[in-house]
Amino acid sequence: MPDPVNDGGSGRAGIGARRLVALAALALAIGIGFVAAQSLAGTAVYYLTPTEAKEKGIAAGQTARLGGQVEAGSLRYEPVSRDLRFVIGDGVSRVQVVGTGAPPGLLREGAGAVVEGTFGADGVFRATQVIAKHDEVYQAPPPGATPSHRTP
Amino acid sequence: MSWGELGAGALRAALLFAAVGAGASVFAARYRDVRGLASARWCALLALALVALADLAMIGALVTHDFRIAYVASNNALETPVFYSVISLWAALEGSILLWTLVLAGATAFVAWRGTVAMPRLATTALAILFAMLAFFLLLVTTPAADPFAPSAFVPENGRGPNALLQNNPLMALHPPLLYLGYVLFSVPFAYAMASLILGEGGDRWLVATRRYALVSWALLGTGIVAGAWWSYAVLGWGGYWAWDPVENAAIMPWLTATAYLHSVMVEEKRRLLRTWNLALVIGTFALTILGTFLTRSGIVNSVHAFSLSAIGPLLLGYLVAILVCSSGLLLWRSRELADRGALGAPLSREAIFLFQNVLFVAATLTILLGTLYPLIAEALSGNQLSIGAPYFDRVEVPIALALLFLMGVGPQLPWHGASRATLERQFALPALAAAAGAIGAIIAGTRGSAPVLTYALAAFVAATVVQEIARGIRARGALHGERTAPAFVALFRRSGRRYGGYVVHLGVALIAVAIAASQSATVESEQTLAPGGSMSVAGRVVTLDAIRDVDEPQRRRVVADVRVSGPSGDTRLEPSFAFYPNATQPVGTPGISAGPGEDVYVILAAYDQRGKAWATIRTRVIPLVSWIWVGGAVIGVGSIIAALPPPRRRSVRAPAILEAAPAGAE
Repeated sequence: MPDPVNDGGSGRAGIGARRLVALAALALAIGIGFVAAQSLAGTAVYYLTPTEAKEKGIAAGQTARLGGQVEAGSLRYEPVSRDLRFVIGDGVSRVQVVGTGAPPGLLREGAGAVVEGTFGADGVFRATQVIAKHDEVYQAPPPGATPSHRTP
Repeated sequence: MSWGELGAGALRAALLFAAVGAGASVFAARYRDVRGLASARWCALLALALVALADLAMIGALVTHDFRIAYVASNNALETPVFYSVISLWAALEGSILLWTLVLAGATAFVAWRGTVAMPRLATTALAILFAMLAFFLLLVTTPAADPFAPSAFVPENGRGPNALLQNNPLMALHPPLLYLGYVLFSVPFAYAMASLILGEGGDRWLVATRRYALVSWALLGTGIVAGAWWSYAVLGWGGYWAWDPVENAAIMPWLTATAYLHSVMVEEKRRLLRTWNLALVIGTFALTILGTFLTRSGIVNSVHAFSLSAIGPLLLGYLVAILVCSSGLLLWRSRELADRGALGAPLSREAIFLFQNVLFVAATLTILLGTLYPLIAEALSGNQLSIGAPYFDRVEVPIALALLFLMGVGPQLPWHGASRATLERQFALPALAAAAGAIGAIIAGTRGSAPVLTYALAAFVAATVVQEIARGIRARGALHGERTAPAFVALFRRSGRRYGGYVVHLGVALIAVAIAASQSATVESEQTLAPGGSMSVAGRVVTLDAIRDVDEPQRRRVVADVRVSGPSGDTRLEPSFAFYPNATQPVGTPGISAGPGEDVYVILAAYDQRGKAWATIRTRVIPLVSWIWVGGAVIGVGSIIAALPPPRRRSVRAPAILEAAPAGAE
């Protein structure tokens, strides 16, 4: 243990200690940056319309987010088994979605929704998460529109 | 005169006074002119009075349902209760900018009348900057960008009513004003810092003058964030309180940099180090408050909070860019005068811990910023839309938070300059034992996962350091002044409020950390569809659905599930519900919460039979210790008050006005 009293000044020991502290801080920052970049790549979930999902041929099992409208007349919820089914569409393409659990309170036919999950080999989307869009000013997306970040 | 004319007129007059005040304070600072300062003061007071009048006019219009004003027509209805009419002042874009302007006018007037007494030249220059900012916001509210008093295109019979999510819970009265106060009060340290750079006063007088503003702003921001989490928990009905939503991120980022600043300030005060760094933190924090407003108000990122798209986005972006360019330019211009003399101490000194802590806080801020803005960057670069959710933030921020919790225990225990082995043993023997006990206790109690166990251990470590410090303080006072325990305890907090208030804040943070770890790792959830009379069992509780019924209220219709929760301590009745508002296309779910010190039972009506009310799907979450997050928020608030209160004056200390012995000063 170096002499604590003389360790903080501008003497030789001080400069060594100062370098050590600065290097440790730098290493810390670089380490966090590395973890952040890794996590960013590993956790990004692509956000697609049903049309884009079909065009890009998302592989079965790959996590994706689909945004669109719940098609009128398609929403089915089986209370006892809590089996949830609906069709999400963008006016051009439609995708059958199945999930387990009650639909979120804000989910309505004709309203916007975002589902996260994976496509099965049968082309049915298995949702692990169903999110109803509740914008301050509600407005259905125009047909074929990308679920834009600039939602109204 | 109508409410609209009164409000719009008051804002225009306030804009005039803000502009004149800016000119007068520039003149007063430049020529050390007493009359200039007097004019600036009266301008600040009149601007404040006029903006307050405009805010009152808006409240008047809301309470009397004056639908001739577009804002009232779209955010109020005849059925809206008075309470929710009043708080609709901040329910949407234009009104919240109006409230923002009021707080900024208040801060400006306070600096004009109080700040300029102690440090005339510095404060008057800061005042000019505050007037300029006030003028910018008054421009926003007097032009179509965010005109709260814009007339309705046609006057409807009845308004649309406030946003359903906002009229569902009284916490909405607390959360936005706390955040706005916090956001806006940070303008004061920023203005002083800029004034110090403009005047070329390399010293830290600006920092001493604004320490309290920064602390109060930080405390309001922090309690506002906790209140927002509570609102989210009580209203949104998903059983959580934090979703890494862009707007939540926008609120926490300036809080993180402000926390870094409050600590690194001490390094500058004690060791005259980190001057440039502190200025950069103030600039960064202030820029992040504006970025937060921009993100919320421009609708540029997907968020539950997204306000409607408005012309205010580009204006706020321009303001943000102008602030960043001007402040960084000033910082570069003065960088040589700001160079530190002296060096940081040993790795085991308090200043070194503060440095690591600052690096971690800034890294947390930057990684949150990256995750928040990455979807925008990716879309601009590749055209792909993607989302960054909780997995990213949890993976990056949880380790940083744990490291910070550790440093929170270490920092205050280390002396400045460096510590000897004996000091280390004396300071850390007991806390290390407490940490080990915390970890072992958690494992015996059945905690799984390294993050929660580490959290409990570190929280015990922090709590032990605080208790040890207070006990030693009491003993020292007893030895020195012969005081008994209770008076010594009070005296510690009264006389060394900054230090011991800080310890109380640390306790609050440790409490929140434990509550987050417990609620995130040990929640038990079950979802079942029940017929009336049916019941489900969750974590030792029996949840029975008694009935499903309709409730008609003037402003809304509700479907309520009568639920009975039977536990070891008797029965509790809960009413999870859906509320249907005439202006909302979608119903709003409200959970039923039975809160307790050990755990909350959180019952959500997830779905129900809309035809015959023959069944309801009930989701029950038993969430341990979650209430302690809100308690921890209150503890942080109390600690901040203790730290912000001025210590009792000793007679030998002369008034601080003497410090400013400026030649031919403005006073």
